[in-house]
Amino acid sequence: MSDLTRSTDRSYAPTDGLVLRFSTREAMKHAVLILGAMVVLLPFYVMVSYSLKAPAEIMQQTGGFLGSQEPFRDDFCIKLGNAVEDCMVNPIVYNYTTAFEKAPLVRYLLNGVIVTVSIFLIQVIVALPCAYALAKLKFWGREAVFGLVLFCLLIPVHAIALPLYIMLAKLGLTNSYAALIIPWTISVFGIFLMRQFFMTVPDDLIDAARMDGMSEYSIVWNVMLPTAIPALMAFGIFSVVAHWNDYFWPRIVITGNRDLFTPPLGLREFKGDADGDNFGPMMATACIIVTPLIVAFLLAQRRFIEGITLSGMK
Amino acid sequence: MKKLTTAMALALLAGPALAEDKIVIEFAYPYSHLFDVTYEKILPKFYEAHPNIEVKMRATYESYEDGTNTILREAVAGTLPDVTMQGLNRQAILVEKGIAKSLEPFIAEEADFAKDGYHKAMLDLGTFDGDVHGLPFSISLPVGYYNMETMAKAGYTTENLPTTWEDVIQACVELKEAGVDNPVFWGWNITGNWFLQALMWSQDKPTVMGTDFTLDEPEGLTALNTMHDIFRGCDMQNLEWKAALASFAAGDVGMMFWSTSAVGAVERSMGDFTLVTNEFPGLTNNGPMGLPAGGNSAMLVSTSEDPAELDAAWKWLKFITSGEGAADVARTTGYMPPNQAANEIILADFYAENPTKATAVRQLPLLREWQAYPGDNGLAATQVIYDALEGIVTGEFDDMEELQQELSEEVQDLLPTGS
Repeated sequence: MSDLTRSTDRSYAPTDGLVLRFSTREAMKHAVLILGAMVVLLPFYVMVSYSLKAPAEIMQQTGGFLGSQEPFRDDFCIKLGNAVEDCMVNPIVYNYTTAFEKAPLVRYLLNGVIVTVSIFLIQVIVALPCAYALAKLKFWGREAVFGLVLFCLLIPVHAIALPLYIMLAKLGLTNSYAALIIPWTISVFGIFLMRQFFMTVPDDLIDAARMDGMSEYSIVWNVMLPTAIPALMAFGIFSVVAHWNDYFWPRIVITGNRDLFTPPLGLREFKGDADGDNFGPMMATACIIVTPLIVAFLLAQRRFIEGITLSGMK
Repeated sequence: MKKLTTAMALALLAGPALAEDKIVIEFAYPYSHLFDVTYEKILPKFYEAHPNIEVKMRATYESYEDGTNTILREAVAGTLPDVTMQGLNRQAILVEKGIAKSLEPFIAEEADFAKDGYHKAMLDLGTFDGDVHGLPFSISLPVGYYNMETMAKAGYTTENLPTTWEDVIQACVELKEAGVDNPVFWGWNITGNWFLQALMWSQDKPTVMGTDFTLDEPEGLTALNTMHDIFRGCDMQNLEWKAALASFAAGDVGMMFWSTSAVGAVERSMGDFTLVTNEFPGLTNNGPMGLPAGGNSAMLVSTSEDPAELDAAWKWLKFITSGEGAADVARTTGYMPPNQAANEIILADFYAENPTKATAVRQLPLLREWQAYPGDNGLAATQVIYDALEGIVTGEFDDMEELQQELSEEVQDLLPTGS
């Protein structure tokens, strides 16, 4: 034990000025991290590269990252009865315009925004009062209710997908925004996360508010909500990322109208399986789908890490 | 005043819709990447012939399995479309469950049904319990794809391409000697154990008879041995779909045995070499005695009671499977329409100009059913067989007699008993 303490002490010992020292351990750590980063980034590299290249270059694995950018013949255009000269297209232009035209991606992106924002707002409206009650109010059976919340965290969505689908179908709600939003409005993860955060808020703050004559609801929205912003941001990122990227659920409930597709479903427009997929536009679609998330993450990076640390998810 | 203009505008908008009284039918199909262009071509022609019918396209299925799953779910939810396109080997389950309707009443009312090109072999693919339930729309058959520049290294020309699997293995050896590392890819991994069924049908043996899985018979052993010989004799790599198509397109693979439906995709993505397609090799010099048909079939799943709507759905079904509608399948995809009239009259010139697509048409007399494994465990049976075939490719299984016994027992246990 004492040995351990001493060695820790040494590593935190103040050094005079900046001494560049080679440490095998640090180097190893970085090597492992760099390797991990490469594994994570490689699919992104492939995605961006494919979205820029012509089909022949993609299939033959030639052309490096950018491809030669020579115009190629769009066979589908010719099949629709156009002349060959009118069907020569530049790979980048073809991939991205096809992504926007064949899969009406603007529409899908709009659907994605409507769905994810609605889900998040309703989740907050439900989760905040629940979390407040579980953290700060004393009532009979509180521990049991919290136990149920934890239990619900263990249920995978896929296990209850069919019953949910049938319930929605009986209500006549399949193929609607409601079907995409309602099943996710109560987030047990959100309740759990906010409860953990509220546990750290001092009781004095709430007592003071009560003494000033605030009602419990008023405390939730006017006292607890402002203190919980960082945790809400963290939860918001989890929620938005999960539902923006969700392929499984929209695919189950949206079978009628293509106009209700969320962005990931746009990818299926380019699938051909044994008859060859159309990778260029498919990867262009993928690039467009992930861009908003990456931008949002870069902007909110600090908040995100703060939120994770604050909410006891360490 | 403002209100009045709005009301007038609304009345104007509503006017034509009321006057024409269009019948709307809903339609869903798989693989929009492959078939969107086909329907884009067919729709204007259909509207010209039937101006009072409107076809509403639903969200497309991402694969045949997804198509079947979606229909099964929609049947529970009561949101079925009127017409759906289903994989040929996935029709049976919809008939068993009473979701797909018999087409016999509609056929009975057609005066020139046979004349429109619907011949028996085609109708057989969608016939269950003696009633036609599905009209095949796009058909594919297994064919051989050859990279002629690579084949030339071992002295092969279009005149002496392999006709039996022994020839193929011989060609592999010669290609390897000529420095080709990866001479062949054989599409064992195509969905529904299509190529296993191809080897069984090659011996004129169905893979499933009633509820009996026939792999335990001598033909089954021949099929397994043939695969084993090809994979070992050619040192075939275990590639997944995308990688297989990619290495053929890149010119690394000399021979690829695959579905004819990929001709378009291969031509679009291949490097600078000469592509020739040729008949699927057989076990003897006479070639295969039969081959399973892949592709999809149009089924009527409408829950409507309205005769006018059902009639409209039938008109659409008939339009896309005969005449110009059917011909557009061949013009826009690698598939061919199974319709005799379309293939022999409308498309005669087309096949002369597109010889790579003509191979499958020459094989049409061999057309046999792509069989489904009956019962609720059909998909599980497919997967068990898939795993076993992969074991042959990777070299995990070397004793084919042992594998034949184990596999047929395991699959038979998954199929319903009796009858």
